[in-house]
Amino acid sequence: MRKRNKLKIHSGLAITLAILMSFIGISGVFVTAASEDGGTRVPVYKNLEELSGKRVGVQVGSVFDKIVEEAIPGASVEYYSTFPDEINALKASKLEGVACVESVIIQLQAQDDSIAYIEEPIGAVPLGFLFPKNEKGKKLADQMSEFLTNMRESGEMDRLMAVWNETDESLKPIEDYKSLPAENGTLTFVTEGTFPPFDYFREGELVGYDVDVAIRFCKEYGYGIELKDMNFDALMPAVQSGKCDFAASGIAITEERKEKVYFSEPDYYQDAYVVVLAADRSGGSFISSLKDSFNRTFIKEHRYRLFLKGIWVTLAITVMSIIFGTLLGFILYMWCRKGGKPANAITRFCIWLVQGMPAIVLLMILYYVVFGKADIGGIGVAVIGFTMTFAASVYSMILSGVRAVDFGQTEASYALGFNDTQTFFGIILPQAARHFMPTFKAEIVTLIKATAVVGYIAVQDLTKMGDIVRSSTYEAFFPLIAVAVMYFVLAGLLKLVANKLTASVDPEKRSEEKILKGIKTK
Amino acid sequence: MIEFRHMQKAFGTSVVLKDINATVNEGDSIAVIGPSGTGKSTLLRCLTYLDPPTGGQIFVDGEDITAPGCNIYKVRQKMGMVFQSYNLFGHMTVIENIMYAPVKLLGMSRQDAYDRGVELLKKVGLADRTLKYPEALSGGQKQRVAIARTLAMDPEIILFDEPTSALDPTMTGEVEAVIEDLARAGKTMMIVTHEMNLAKRVANRVFYMDEGIIYEDGPADQIFNDPQREKTSRFVRKLKVLEFNIDSHGFDFVGASTEIDRYCFKNHIPLKTSNKIRSVIEELCVQILLPVVKDPGINVCVEYSEEEEYTIITVKYPDRFRPEDSGDSGEDLSYRLLKANTESIDYSYDEAEGSTIVMKLR
Ligand SMILES: Nc1ncnc2c1ncn2[C@@H]1O[C@H](COP(=O)(O)OP(=O)(O)OP(=O)(O)O)[C@@H](O)[C@H]1O
Ligand SMILES: [Mg+2]
Repeated sequence: MRKRNKLKIHSGLAITLAILMSFIGISGVFVTAASEDGGTRVPVYKNLEELSGKRVGVQVGSVFDKIVEEAIPGASVEYYSTFPDEINALKASKLEGVACVESVIIQLQAQDDSIAYIEEPIGAVPLGFLFPKNEKGKKLADQMSEFLTNMRESGEMDRLMAVWNETDESLKPIEDYKSLPAENGTLTFVTEGTFPPFDYFREGELVGYDVDVAIRFCKEYGYGIELKDMNFDALMPAVQSGKCDFAASGIAITEERKEKVYFSEPDYYQDAYVVVLAADRSGGSFISSLKDSFNRTFIKEHRYRLFLKGIWVTLAITVMSIIFGTLLGFILYMWCRKGGKPANAITRFCIWLVQGMPAIVLLMILYYVVFGKADIGGIGVAVIGFTMTFAASVYSMILSGVRAVDFGQTEASYALGFNDTQTFFGIILPQAARHFMPTFKAEIVTLIKATAVVGYIAVQDLTKMGDIVRSSTYEAFFPLIAVAVMYFVLAGLLKLVANKLTASVDPEKRSEEKILKGIKTK
Repeated sequence: MIEFRHMQKAFGTSVVLKDINATVNEGDSIAVIGPSGTGKSTLLRCLTYLDPPTGGQIFVDGEDITAPGCNIYKVRQKMGMVFQSYNLFGHMTVIENIMYAPVKLLGMSRQDAYDRGVELLKKVGLADRTLKYPEALSGGQKQRVAIARTLAMDPEIILFDEPTSALDPTMTGEVEAVIEDLARAGKTMMIVTHEMNLAKRVANRVFYMDEGIIYEDGPADQIFNDPQREKTSRFVRKLKVLEFNIDSHGFDFVGASTEIDRYCFKNHIPLKTSNKIRSVIEELCVQILLPVVKDPGINVCVEYSEEEEYTIITVKYPDRFRPEDSGDSGEDLSYRLLKANTESIDYSYDEAEGSTIVMKLR
């Protein structure tokens, strides 16, 4: 039995790998190493008119959709949630163009020589810092505006932008922000780290132009700073709910946004362009590009450490949610068993609420609304959220498991003289467990997969780490496969542990010696 | 030892037990009989408080178990209950089923409980099944384990609720034998049963239940052979006869045969005789009568007399038709078979009753 399970896991892995690998082979979209000369590349589309009727990618929540509609009449705008996703879609021929700002293109071209851009700008985008719409936010926004105006006037801003536009990472130092004196308190700065050179991960640390400016600002005004990474869609809610003190991630200043948050003066004006494929893409051999991909994904900048950290976070959230969820579900069940109608009605309502909601919505509500003001980190909120969902399934499992046990068992136990509690724990629960254990194991696997959404509440789990790596390497497949494999292995391991655990408590799997422990049979 | 005083039980508005008054003495072995739905099971369930009575009192060893302060868990330990559906604990082996309650409730050591369990298993003939799980046992074996489990608590009285009716007829014997042993050893018992043989073998007293009360309470001999009250007498008589109606041309004779076989089995009628009975009924009813009667309404009644060892089959139908008139050329084959298998065949016709055929066979 156990052997068969292992086999299943192994063959599952093999099949997934095979499917993914063949996909790569067919699409052949491996990134090839950037050419050293970085000379002018010829874009497939020479001017903006040629993009009419074509698909242009923009990031959800950015202002590029309006800009593209105005600059390229007839283009159809398609929304993507991260910039690397857009580039991958471009390379997979799902898009013909991607709108983005100048600095990003410089970084991208240095990484990937299959990328070019149309040299006609489509508009200028003022990028700024966001602050919550409250007194403190107002004060900080004013301070930041003052700081940025000074920087611009002294030429410091251009100098700094030039530094971050470098393509050699060693030329872009970041200050040690952890030991700032913080005499005026510590500020939390959030950003999405998939947006080089503004906000991105280097050696597992958040860096970038925005980050640099934020640190310099804090140093100047006597604040400490704490950096947090969050999904782009979650940045606005994080600022609005006061989960952070300020944010930036190439966020454009718009009238609509100004109603919800305070903006600082722009920290930079950037021209936007449309990125398209280069006409003369060079291709390496499959094996060498595979090796190259492996290197970029795991070795370069010690990126394997990101994956390890992600695995750790995913595992921690999952395991803690399983433990607390099982306990909570059990307590709820016991409460309902004794509690009569009100207890049951309340529990059923809560479970209906929790189960009827996508996990991501539940997490966002917990993070921004319920614990909006509380000092609980993303991992804590994730554990609370998934504890709730897991408890809901555990409750339902126990309920149906107990129902599956014949009522005659209860009566026989009563008739022998056992009371209700003795009957439940000694007779009913062990038999109900046999009914719900298979579901329990399946729920564990469901749970580990469900935790993939925690990136929305500033948690860097395995999925998020995959995104971060993809944003540095601009390729989808290798990090995706790596993540998929890791999920399989984690789920397999958890299932194995669960199997061992259930086998050890399954009464029918006991040995004779164990049944007759302490008894002389003759 | 146990006394019911004006005990009442209602489910919602339907009053099942109206007024139960009885005393059970030590050494009594009581068969509780009566038509279906008259509250026999309910009586036992009230006594064990699985269904609390809704009125009156029950005294166990002088203690009123319906009193608010009564510790019903302790009282239940004095009474063993054997269910129709065995209800063995599925997650325990046979020996654990037996050891569980004495260890947990009586504080017996595991070793003592084990030794006693093995002894009880020997008594019910299952000493080689100690480490089996219930699902690996036949129905009869399960019921014997259930009896052993009950005995392990050394109860003052054992209550059986139709202990053999979920069993295949071939397995009732082994369970009945165990119960009979207990009766012979003088154990106090109450047995709800539809099996008159079991009742006759183990009971020294019978409760006939009807109309929500213990309608007649008396020694077993008296109830079975000379019941004092009208309804009892009708019930007991019916137990001894097999009666069924053939009311359509598409009558299911296979089903009827099974009933005849079961009746013969219960009454210990020899196989040869039972084959004869089946054949006689089939020839007369299916071959001779069914094709000729216009409006089938044939009533068949089989009655076996133990003392004289013969069977009387009475067949009634509305049409005026003599069985020997079947076929066109005098006596046909079916009628000849009928004659060969019976000792006598008497036909009579009555305007009000229709035709009656009485056959006697050995
Ligand atoms: N839990 C219950 N709720 C409502 N009515 C019940 C319940 N249990 C029993 N009854 C009713 O009480 C009556 C007596 O039931 P009981 O099972 O005691 O009859 P019985 O004499 O044991 O019948 P049988 O010979 O068929 O087992 C039946 O009419 C039944 O429908
Ligand atoms: Mg009954």
